[in-house]
Amino acid sequence: MGLPLYDATNDPGPSFLAFATASGLKLSSGHERELSPHATTVVALRCDTGVVMIADRQATGGYIASRDVRKIEAADAFTGIAISGSAAMGMEFIRIAQLSFEHYEKMSEMALSLEGKANYLSPMIQHINFSVGLLVLPMLAGWDQSRRQGRIFEYDGAGGCYERSDFTTIGSGSPFAESTLRLGFRPDLTQAEALELAALAIYEAGDNDPSTGGPDFVRNLFPMMVTITAEGFTELPQEFAAATFRTILERRTASGGAAGGNLR
Amino acid sequence: MSNFYYVPQEQIMKDKAEFAQKGIARGRSIVAAIYDQGVVLVAENPSASLFKISELYDRLAFAGVGKYNEFDRLREAGIRWADSTGFTYSREDVEARALANYYAQYLGDTFSSGYKPLEVEVLVAQLGSETRPTKLYRIGYEGTISDEPRFAVLGGDADTIRARFAASLSELAPLNVTLQRAVAALAGPDRTIATIDLEVAVLEDRGTRRTFRRVSEVDIDALRG
Repeated sequence: MGLPLYDATNDPGPSFLAFATASGLKLSSGHERELSPHATTVVALRCDTGVVMIADRQATGGYIASRDVRKIEAADAFTGIAISGSAAMGMEFIRIAQLSFEHYEKMSEMALSLEGKANYLSPMIQHINFSVGLLVLPMLAGWDQSRRQGRIFEYDGAGGCYERSDFTTIGSGSPFAESTLRLGFRPDLTQAEALELAALAIYEAGDNDPSTGGPDFVRNLFPMMVTITAEGFTELPQEFAAATFRTILERRTASGGAAGGNLR
Repeated sequence: MSNFYYVPQEQIMKDKAEFAQKGIARGRSIVAAIYDQGVVLVAENPSASLFKISELYDRLAFAGVGKYNEFDRLREAGIRWADSTGFTYSREDVEARALANYYAQYLGDTFSSGYKPLEVEVLVAQLGSETRPTKLYRIGYEGTISDEPRFAVLGGDADTIRARFAASLSELAPLNVTLQRAVAALAGPDRTIATIDLEVAVLEDRGTRRTFRRVSEVDIDALRG
């Protein structure tokens, strides 16, 4: 590629997608179809310090294709993005989102607002899902620098973007994760309580949905746990996830698999 | 019949060069220098929002002097080039020399065949890694590209500032010493530059992918001592 110079009248501006279109840069058009495109569970919920996100790590394509997939990525220092759907499209989606946010920030010497980032994803989802069938559904969660609070955005297949004041889930394990969150969510959750509840939601999803991986004590692989606060995006160490899920496992073992009615 | 006068190429080039130099000399200069941990870029710039120094990519920075609208377009083109190259290949394939060459070609072409030469000088700085060296490429208004070993000066008063900075140059120094020398070279013996009129940025490894960082006014004050 040569030096991409434009006149003021046809300049694509700070949007990477607009530039990619103007320059004919080939983005993946995603014609591949995978067997079970939504096999995943990711949850995000708000708490007093911001938001927490947890995702299972299994990639399913009829059989278990991988056990250590990362479904949450830092889109930038204060924003997490998670995907459900086709793995290839999802990875591409995250890569373009990350690049777009950074591109905008460098071009205009100013970071995009959290709401700006959330809205930017809508046409991307619409384009992918309308041109090749429902392949990708993301969620976006982050720390809003101007409002000084954590915020969560979910999407529908047509690209509609909706802010959630409490929590959201994506993927095939959603019904189980969502039920758990509904029963346990309070608006005044501390970060520790939110992490515990989110872990329980992922545990339930892994327990009931064949396409969602639960904690893997044999291989020592555990769901990915993330916090996003005023200090930014932090991925918690696997040892922390191991301890969290071991506690749940021990309680469940003691009660013979019954949740016991008290959100355990 | 129309009047065509013969003007020797030498004269045309000389006129163009004078025109560009005059334009560049109207603005303030920039010093970029390698220090023991990275690269520091120092500009005299009274504006806190119209930057002369900018992030291009993970390990690349841009600096421009002269007409703002002209070098800002080159800056944008550089970011676009870097982001699309990194997207197409890999982040580690984005490299300063390739971009510096494109800038040199564009400035050279515009100088020789454009309506008017661009009144700018630009710099591409690269922070070294395990596979690449730390580099400073300066590109002049006529497309001359130079690979500056330790430091580079852009702007109308470049020769004087270069001589001043070279005189103070020794072993690779820490950031504060290098910054103090750069500011002293920009200011000259007869005046001082207030911190508020300085724009300073560094490329330095801090364990993150992006190495560009603007140095705040408070931090500049602390570094100046």
